[in-house]
Amino acid sequence: MKHATIFLLYVSQYMKTRLTYRIDMAMEIMSDLLFQAVNLIFILVVFGHTNMLSGWSRDEIIFIYGFFLVPFAIFGAFFNIWDFNERYIVKGEMDRILTRPVHSLFQIILERMELESLFGMITGIAVMIYAGSRLDLSLSWYDPFVFLVMVIGGAFVYAGIFVLLASISFWSDSRTSIMPMMYNIGNYGRYPVDIYNKVIRFILTWILPFAFVGVYPSAYFLGREEWYGYAFLTPVIGFAFFAIAIIMWNIGVTKYRGAGN
Amino acid sequence: MGKEVIEVQSLRKDFKSHSSRSGLKGAFRDLFTRNYKVISAVKDISFTVNEGEMVGYIGENGAGKSTSIKMLTGILTPTSGTVRVNGMDPHKEREKFVRSIGVVFGQRSQLWWDIAVQESFRLLKKVYNVPDDVYNEHMNHVIESLDIGPLLDKPVRKLSLGQRMRCELAAALLHNPKLLFLDEPTIGLDVLVKLKIRNFLKEINEKYKTTILLTTHDLTDIEALCERVVMLDEGQIIYDGKLAKLRSNWGEGKQIEFQFGENVTGDELQPLLKELDAEWTPGDRPNVYVANVVNEEHVISEVIGRVVAAHRITDIKIHEISTEEIIRNIYEEGMLNG
Repeated sequence: MKHATIFLLYVSQYMKTRLTYRIDMAMEIMSDLLFQAVNLIFILVVFGHTNMLSGWSRDEIIFIYGFFLVPFAIFGAFFNIWDFNERYIVKGEMDRILTRPVHSLFQIILERMELESLFGMITGIAVMIYAGSRLDLSLSWYDPFVFLVMVIGGAFVYAGIFVLLASISFWSDSRTSIMPMMYNIGNYGRYPVDIYNKVIRFILTWILPFAFVGVYPSAYFLGREEWYGYAFLTPVIGFAFFAIAIIMWNIGVTKYRGAGN
Repeated sequence: MGKEVIEVQSLRKDFKSHSSRSGLKGAFRDLFTRNYKVISAVKDISFTVNEGEMVGYIGENGAGKSTSIKMLTGILTPTSGTVRVNGMDPHKEREKFVRSIGVVFGQRSQLWWDIAVQESFRLLKKVYNVPDDVYNEHMNHVIESLDIGPLLDKPVRKLSLGQRMRCELAAALLHNPKLLFLDEPTIGLDVLVKLKIRNFLKEINEKYKTTILLTTHDLTDIEALCERVVMLDEGQIIYDGKLAKLRSNWGEGKQIEFQFGENVTGDELQPLLKELDAEWTPGDRPNVYVANVVNEEHVISEVIGRVVAAHRITDIKIHEISTEEIIRNIYEEGMLNG
């Protein structure tokens, strides 16, 4: 309850400051849209040459991409703490965070949130509706709830991985270039995993489980029953990874060395 | 003796830092086996602070001040030793613990840069979960005494350093903590703002019995506020006691500097101070000697009288020893018999 009111207060503060920089915000939303459009065009170009990718049709892959955009938008809005090392460890802002009576990760999420990213959800849902209507997908009454659970699971997978990477900064304060690499690997989750070789498939499922952000949960909505087992694992993997990340974070905080003044 | 607010028992903090070998070959060897060097920033210090005390925590850069304050505020985990602050273990019960303390780091802002000061206060009020009536009563007083009413609707980035610092102090006191940590709160401020801040700190100390631990490079802050000082050097406490005692052991008295008009030696001068509470130290130029004497009229005039009667002098200066000088002396000589 207390966290919810703090969250809402931060959101209203965020809106206030963002609205004073309207052009900035418009630019950011535009560049996000452009980025999503480029990815969509890429899929269309690939399918200009072929009808099927390992048994997946063009519209199915577009649907997966649309689904992927939704958890990714949530991740981008709240857990995109790629600059954690520099901002909080090297500059010592973590000192300030640790003198306040709220969980440190929660505070950082509140300070670093970028709510504009949430527009990606609208794009994603639009893409899914477009692809879904061409695929003649039928919806049951419970599917919106399943969708919600899958989206949260997928967002937690992303969040878990990025929080884990951020936690490394507590042990080593040298700058790492893992974060940009992780964005690229994350994109692999947007395509059906059976187009990759076994090793990559294994990594995307169990080590860096980005497949649970796109293809696995989408398989449920596409009625691909052979993947249902993985589809229903999505929330489990999401919560497990996020829980591990929080545990690592909490251990990391005790190893925090502070910035030397 | 009042209630103990801070209890520190053989507190220690070691940092492991790896030293890289030189050259390309060294870099390759570093990949596999690293040379670690353990640096102890704080070496087994112990002290206690009672409720309502204002303690000056001083030391040179790198003496371990910041590191020990960070352990007391729960930011860093001690390597060994125990810390109890407000009856809690700062690191283990961090979220509960930090509610009972206020922190001002002079070089680091607690306030949000882009939003108005009062919006920052509103966020902090929520974070600390302060009820409206308590907040209003307490903060109206704080805002008035720090004279920051007119600044409340300005964003922090538009404030001057002095204005910001007063707002920082108000923010740290928003939840009316019983214990306040101030790390360089007056750095870079002009005299008027310093005075205002000092008066305010005295006032809350009297009104709420707030315990204050203050680190600063500006010893006039400490002279104005603290009865007690804890002095650190190379991670160890080298003095813990009354500031007045420090002054009386090391600085009570005056220095009379004589510039002699002829060549003199220490042996020649020695008999002049016989039976007086005074002693010679050589000055920094040839034929300059300084008589360190107790601050008593008859001794001072006796010394001057005897020296002038025995030797030709070209100049006399009488100095009061400042706290700064005392502390410099202590660090230079590295020992303390008090």
